[in-house]
Amino acid sequence: MQSLSPQLFAKSLGEVGTTILFVLVAIIAIEFLLYYILKVKLNHVYALPFMLVAPAAIGLLLLVAYPIGYNAVLSFTNMSLRRFTVERGLTYGIKNAVENFVGVFTEPILKQRHFFPILFTTVLWTFIQVSSHVVLGMFLAILLNRPMKLRGIYRTLLLFPWAIPQIIAVLAWRGEFNYEYGYPNVILKSLGLEPIRWLSDPFWNFAAINITNIWLGVPFMTVVLLGGLQSIDRTYYEASEIDGAGKIYQFSHITLPLIQPVMTPAVILGVIWTFNMFNIPFFINQLELESSDILVTALFRAAFEYNRYGFAAAFALVNFFILLVFTLAYLKLTRFKFDVGTLVTATGKKRR
Amino acid sequence: MKRKSQFLPVAIFLVILLLAGSPLFAGGTKEGEAAEPEGPVSFALWTQEGESEGVYQWIVSLTQEFMEKNPDIKIDTVQKDTEALREDFQTASLAGEPPELLWTVNDHAGPFTAAGLIQPVDNLYDKNKFVESVVMEGKTWAVPISSGNHLMLLYNKSLVQKPPETTDELIEMGKQLTKGDTYGLVYNQIEPFWLVPWLGGFGGKVFADDGVTPTLNTPEMVNTLQFLYDLKFKHKIVPPESDYGTMDTLFKEGKAAMIINGDWSLGDYASILKDKLGVAKLPKVSQTGKYPAPYTSGKYFMIAEDVTGAQLTAVKKFMDFVTSEDVQQRMLKTFKRLPALLTVLKSPEITSDPILKGSSEQLAYGTPMPSVVEMRANWDAMKPEMNAVLAGSKTPKDAALAMQKAAEAGIEALK
Repeated sequence: MQSLSPQLFAKSLGEVGTTILFVLVAIIAIEFLLYYILKVKLNHVYALPFMLVAPAAIGLLLLVAYPIGYNAVLSFTNMSLRRFTVERGLTYGIKNAVENFVGVFTEPILKQRHFFPILFTTVLWTFIQVSSHVVLGMFLAILLNRPMKLRGIYRTLLLFPWAIPQIIAVLAWRGEFNYEYGYPNVILKSLGLEPIRWLSDPFWNFAAINITNIWLGVPFMTVVLLGGLQSIDRTYYEASEIDGAGKIYQFSHITLPLIQPVMTPAVILGVIWTFNMFNIPFFINQLELESSDILVTALFRAAFEYNRYGFAAAFALVNFFILLVFTLAYLKLTRFKFDVGTLVTATGKKRR
Repeated sequence: MKRKSQFLPVAIFLVILLLAGSPLFAGGTKEGEAAEPEGPVSFALWTQEGESEGVYQWIVSLTQEFMEKNPDIKIDTVQKDTEALREDFQTASLAGEPPELLWTVNDHAGPFTAAGLIQPVDNLYDKNKFVESVVMEGKTWAVPISSGNHLMLLYNKSLVQKPPETTDELIEMGKQLTKGDTYGLVYNQIEPFWLVPWLGGFGGKVFADDGVTPTLNTPEMVNTLQFLYDLKFKHKIVPPESDYGTMDTLFKEGKAAMIINGDWSLGDYASILKDKLGVAKLPKVSQTGKYPAPYTSGKYFMIAEDVTGAQLTAVKKFMDFVTSEDVQQRMLKTFKRLPALLTVLKSPEITSDPILKGSSEQLAYGTPMPSVVEMRANWDAMKPEMNAVLAGSKTPKDAALAMQKAAEAGIEALK
């Protein structure tokens, strides 16, 4: 292994240098062009905002819009290992797309499992995760949201899982689930209990994945909810106390409604992140047990392990629509509105 | 009126964004190509040789030695797991940026030739001087680096005096040796590469005689799976769970009396266990009286399809260096790995070294690993089912049936 020397550093910088320079020059050219057309020629009121948004918009276009577009195009192909390029029989067409989309629901996505069983695992996984994140996160947030000694230290410790790069944390966890050398099994053995086959037993492998993701996901929820709790005016609690309200009543009638504007986007994000969580189900499932695969890991296997590119692209679009429908439904259900500087809470009150 | 005046700049803005996007793509691909012909030549080498056996480090030192001799050539070496190397090479080729040279196992040639990602090497080396290589459709697709790559039985002489001759003996010895935190036998329970030798021992093959039709749902496969199941759940001589890293660690720590591992690990074990390392053939299957047939393949160089000109010359120069007598001899000495160069393979050192002797005896019972792309479908079909049987969640019979179905579907999807 090479050590990280200044020379190596300079060398890597030199390798990306031309690309960075190219990007810079391109952005400056675009800014001048926009300035010339919008400001000099049209003298438009929003000339400056457009210019400011341009670099980010181009970045998003290249990094987000283009891959999505390419994926949509791929779903119209019959691409596979033997048909890698047009010269080798790759074709584009509606017929391919129909075959691909029908295939997603009728053919096995992995070697044995079909779409709906995997969807069920995914929904189960998402439900277990988001509900435990919210419940445990809320519990910890309430504990932390009161005067106590060393509160800062507790909060820092809680953020730890977040500060470690995810992939490193996951691989460390996988090591802990090793039958011979892992921490939980060492404890079980020393207690005289039977060690658990975390990696090969379907049930325990799913459990292992869930444990890891709870460890990783709760801190995020705690921090978000703690922020929400701290924004609730203390006078509400004082007033209700005078009226004789108990802790439980306060929680359900003051805390919950008022934390809604913070909790709703956090839950939506949590669902989308968990639904699309790749690293944990993929890397903890070293044996590639199909029972532990969720939609995104199945998608990866279909595309890059089994080389069904056209099929996988169609599958990716199906996943995308599931999440889109969920998000729209949830937004409607909680009557949440995106509006700059305004939060419309579930009770319909506007707060600024 | 106000609405109208807003629409025009938005449209202009979008058009400019779209126009701005396209040169960025074109620019990205052009840059790399333009840099090649002039000045120093550089190429990327991907290898699946591991760090834990020290072979990866050895390759890096080889490239450094080579670059010192050839200051106008630069090699970037990247290590990847065997399966990751295959997947990433395919993906990188799709993106138009594959590494120029691969140092990998023979069966990768199947998918790579099917997708047209590597080029024939018939004119790049002298075939008469080397062991057989990967030949498909009348062309040679890889330059051999080493031969063998076969599994064998390695044992710790402080625990095992005489290696087992038959599987019955293996089980008997395993039962006596398994106590406390020590196991009689360890092997990689995740990869079907460790299953195929036994399949051979039970008289089965993964393909019919045509070499492309999977034959996985056979009594031989059921017996093989049953045998592996029994080792774990009936005789309890193998760990409840063990991947490559676990079995490797257990054997190195002296917590496993016997291990089934490949020739790539010999150098490493010999340096740790010293003269306590014993090498033997995999024991004869008692039920059939046949010896297991591990897959043999060796390691090979493969060259990406679009490598031409000065880069190809540089790649050839590096391949010549690695397959030179000097380097082949060093590989034999350091890693106890059988070379691909015939003059070195026939050298007296091999017959006089007990470890190499054991290794080459096992090699005699080996069978060449199929490199056709259909083998890919077989591996993918066998892996989850083997794992299911070893997790106790499927019977050998059901697993063999599911394997066959999955392999057939996999081959269908390739078409």
